[in-house]
Amino acid sequence: MQWWCAATGEPWSWSWQWYPGVHLAVLVLGIVWYRLGRAQQWSSRPWGWFFTAVVALLATLDWPVGKLGAGYLASVHTLQFLLLTLLVAPALLRSIPADGWQRLATPGSRSFSALRFLAHALIALVAYDTLVVITHFPAVVDGAMQTQLGSFAIDLAWLVAGLLLWWPIAAPASLGRLGMFGKMGYLFAATIVPTIPAMMMVFSDWPLYELYELAPRVVTHFSANDDIKLAGLSMKLFGDIPLWIATAVVFFKGTAHTRRIAGA
Amino acid sequence: MRVSTAAIAALAIAACAPAAPIASGPFRGAELDRPLPKPPLVFTDSHGQPFDLVQATADRVTLLFFGYTHCPDICPVHLANIAAVLDKLPDDVQREVTVVFVTTDPARDSLAVLDRWITGFDPRFIGLTGDSATIAEAQAQLGLIPARRTAAQERNHYGVGHATQVIAFTRDGLARVQYPFGTRQRDWAADIPKLVEFGRPPGAGTE
Repeated sequence: MQWWCAATGEPWSWSWQWYPGVHLAVLVLGIVWYRLGRAQQWSSRPWGWFFTAVVALLATLDWPVGKLGAGYLASVHTLQFLLLTLLVAPALLRSIPADGWQRLATPGSRSFSALRFLAHALIALVAYDTLVVITHFPAVVDGAMQTQLGSFAIDLAWLVAGLLLWWPIAAPASLGRLGMFGKMGYLFAATIVPTIPAMMMVFSDWPLYELYELAPRVVTHFSANDDIKLAGLSMKLFGDIPLWIATAVVFFKGTAHTRRIAGA
Repeated sequence: MRVSTAAIAALAIAACAPAAPIASGPFRGAELDRPLPKPPLVFTDSHGQPFDLVQATADRVTLLFFGYTHCPDICPVHLANIAAVLDKLPDDVQREVTVVFVTTDPARDSLAVLDRWITGFDPRFIGLTGDSATIAEAQAQLGLIPARRTAAQERNHYGVGHATQVIAFTRDGLARVQYPFGTRQRDWAADIPKLVEFGRPPGAGTE
């Protein structure tokens, strides 16, 4: 039995498999979130955001998506990347209310300095892009996904990348640095670098990853070439759309806020 | 239907042992020190017609592979990769290559099943079947470990352990290179044009 989904080279099977590491991680997350809320006496508990994060996390890492992505289909591996960075991570950030963040990072504390540093657009962007590029290198993917620890490290890196990406947008006013136009420019900039691995997947003559090229087929005539192209297209298309939506949300929220101030 | 991993691994290791020592040469695949002739056997193609392997593939590069349509891992990967590469090679190279798949599971691989499955990869691929003796003889002549059924969990739900390498015959009808499972598309793309060019008189280009 595996504790975390990793490539096995075994033929694909639709029989359910238990990955205790995934369930343990979700359990620990739940306990930490609940106890943090109690300890800090949050004014409200953003149950909706936390529920979204947990359900998306389970759907991403558990069977069957976790197993398919770890050892069979590059397109599902990309789906995991998208879910972790664009859904789980922002939902987790929003599952802590503003007063929770304020108590986590009281002005003058180390955590305050660190979180404010990470809210810097350039820092966040460089860190996010670096993680995205490294975790999509063929040698890294082919090597890491063969072991449970490596596969876990990739998943964790993507979650961290997502948290870094969204922090400048989701940070409360006391920790944030960006205004409306800054956030919009930042979100646009975040779509640029992931285009590189995405386009390499789409336009490469041969499948980028050995792991997925030689993996047992899940659907007999769905080839590794179709799979990697689908992965690249998904990464670009479904990776950009949430950022465009976020840009629109930032714009409309910002203009509404400006109108309120002007009307007051 | 599922083949035990240990059985596959054991058989694959044994089957990958070449019939002749491997030499190093211009190919990325494993070259045979002593080229082997194409087995002079007659099979049945997936349309039910007799298929004389030597005659039907004369003067062509032939990629020969033994497997079965219920194979959950090696067969579909090999065939899909070859199909993907051929599709990207120039037409004059594609025209010179014949891919021949011989079933090692004639009991389940009826003509219709075989035809639907093999042409799903590439309509030009040829699926062959035959009596067990002919199929076994072909494997023996190429020095391959004979395919064999693994224990069935249910009736008709069994795996077939088989050799995992694709054998490449150059146009002179000799097997010169073999490609074990794990051969990537970029390796095929490098080698297929070389196989086509092998033994061609200088200046004799394709049309």
